[in-house]
Amino acid sequence: MDCFVFEAAGKHLGIEARYIYRIADEARVVPVPLLPSCHVGVFYYRGDLFDVIDAGQLLGNEARISNEPPYVILLKWDQKSLGLIPERIVGMTWVEEENSHGMIFTKEGLAIHMMIPENIWKRLSELPYGH
Amino acid sequence: MNRTSIKNKLILSFLALLLIVMVVIGAAQQITDNVITSLGISAALALAAGIIFGGIFSRSILRRLNSLSSAAKEISRGDLSREIAFLSRDEIRDLEEVFAAMVKDLREIISEIHDVSTQIEETGRHLSVQVEKVLASSREIDESALAIAKGSEAQSLIVQKTSVVLDRGLEQMDEAARHSAQTASKTNDALKKTETGEAKARETLRYLEDVLKQMVENAEPIYRLSEKVEKIKMVMSVIEELSQKTDLLSLNASIEATRAGEMGKGFALVANEIRNMAENSRNSSHQIRAIVDDIFKDNRAVTLALKKSEEDINRGRKVIHGIVGTFGEMLSGVKEISTEVQEVGVITRRQAKEMRGLLHQFQELSRLAQENFVSTQKTTIGTKNQKEEIMEIVKEAASLNVLSQKMMETQRRFRLRGT
Repeated sequence: MDCFVFEAAGKHLGIEARYIYRIADEARVVPVPLLPSCHVGVFYYRGDLFDVIDAGQLLGNEARISNEPPYVILLKWDQKSLGLIPERIVGMTWVEEENSHGMIFTKEGLAIHMMIPENIWKRLSELPYGH
Repeated sequence: MNRTSIKNKLILSFLALLLIVMVVIGAAQQITDNVITSLGISAALALAAGIIFGGIFSRSILRRLNSLSSAAKEISRGDLSREIAFLSRDEIRDLEEVFAAMVKDLREIISEIHDVSTQIEETGRHLSVQVEKVLASSREIDESALAIAKGSEAQSLIVQKTSVVLDRGLEQMDEAARHSAQTASKTNDALKKTETGEAKARETLRYLEDVLKQMVENAEPIYRLSEKVEKIKMVMSVIEELSQKTDLLSLNASIEATRAGEMGKGFALVANEIRNMAENSRNSSHQIRAIVDDIFKDNRAVTLALKKSEEDINRGRKVIHGIVGTFGEMLSGVKEISTEVQEVGVITRRQAKEMRGLLHQFQELSRLAQENFVSTQKTTIGTKNQKEEIMEIVKEAASLNVLSQKMMETQRRFRLRGT
């Protein structure tokens, strides 16, 4: 399957390519008050409103430290939309099926943690407000 | 005056006696015819007449001779007041006149001797007074000569000491003159060196001006290079942005190709290649940026170094301007010092010359003082001899006085005219 790979929280993370809607840059993210600190804000893109999440802070509680302008990975699935800000984008790659631990390895030997947008959404939903 | 000599008198007397004898003989012949008687009577009468005439004649001569003898005796006792009477006109009269003249002369002589002795006595007293004065003067001269000798000795010592001091001062002035000459020479050397230093400083300043000008000219391309590097960086930013956009575009193309499924695989490959190209471009752009950054840093460092060098050169130029000014002031000061040192040398030499003249005069003064000392010594000896001679004169004057006293006493033995 095609997998979109990026780095966040010191890990290589992967999302199946069919969930990826677009990679946006120069995103004008508008902060929303009283939301978890990993929730950077909302981003309006071509008629859709995306909740933008700092992936590193959500997964490893580590704020993004890169100085490069952030890309926003826009995800859409089941009438839901979400934006992730990675530490660095690696790109598209073809991987085999994932193992039981949710890990896959590329042919270059790179270990990738596969993520499902619904799990990310759930994890975000479990966070308290204002955290 | 008619003189009658004794010889004539005797001849006249004999003729008278002969006449008388003849008269007597004639008378006797008349009285008696006896020849013998007449002869006897004539002889007796002639003898008597001869005795009478002889007695009268001899008495006359003896009386006058006795008168002269008594006068001579009185004269011999010192009585010159007796006048010699002239009783005849014969040769005794001559004796009487000679005797009277002698008495007169003797009287005059005695009178003159009296006057002379009086004068001698007076002169002796005057001489004594004068001798006393001369002695006093001689003592004063002796004391003055002694004082002058002491003064001359002290003066000689002072002059000698002063001469020594002057000599030392002269040596010091000669030394000062030599030092002045050396200082003048060194000042001239310093003047030449200062002039050389000023010329070199001016040359260095010109050289610095040339270097600064050359540096400004050389710095222009570097400054232009800096501007060009800035432009390159801007271009690199555009390229990086383009590569980023290309990367993003290729990513999105890959995503779209993935959605397209089997139909989009070729497109996904192309998108992936484009992304690789964008990545390569980005990497190259990063490398170029790094190189450009290095160039920029180096250029900036060179520019800073140039500016610093320019500032240093400007500071150096100011410093050298100051040095040139300082050299100018030093030159002026050294010239003034040189002039003053030369003036000091001239004045010192003049002073040394005048001091040498003064020393010569002091040496002359010392010589004169020594001569004065010798002269005063001689004067002292002379006054001593003079005193001894004056004492001799006093003795002689005393002897003269004694002699005059004796003369006076002797003269008193003579009675001149009723005194």
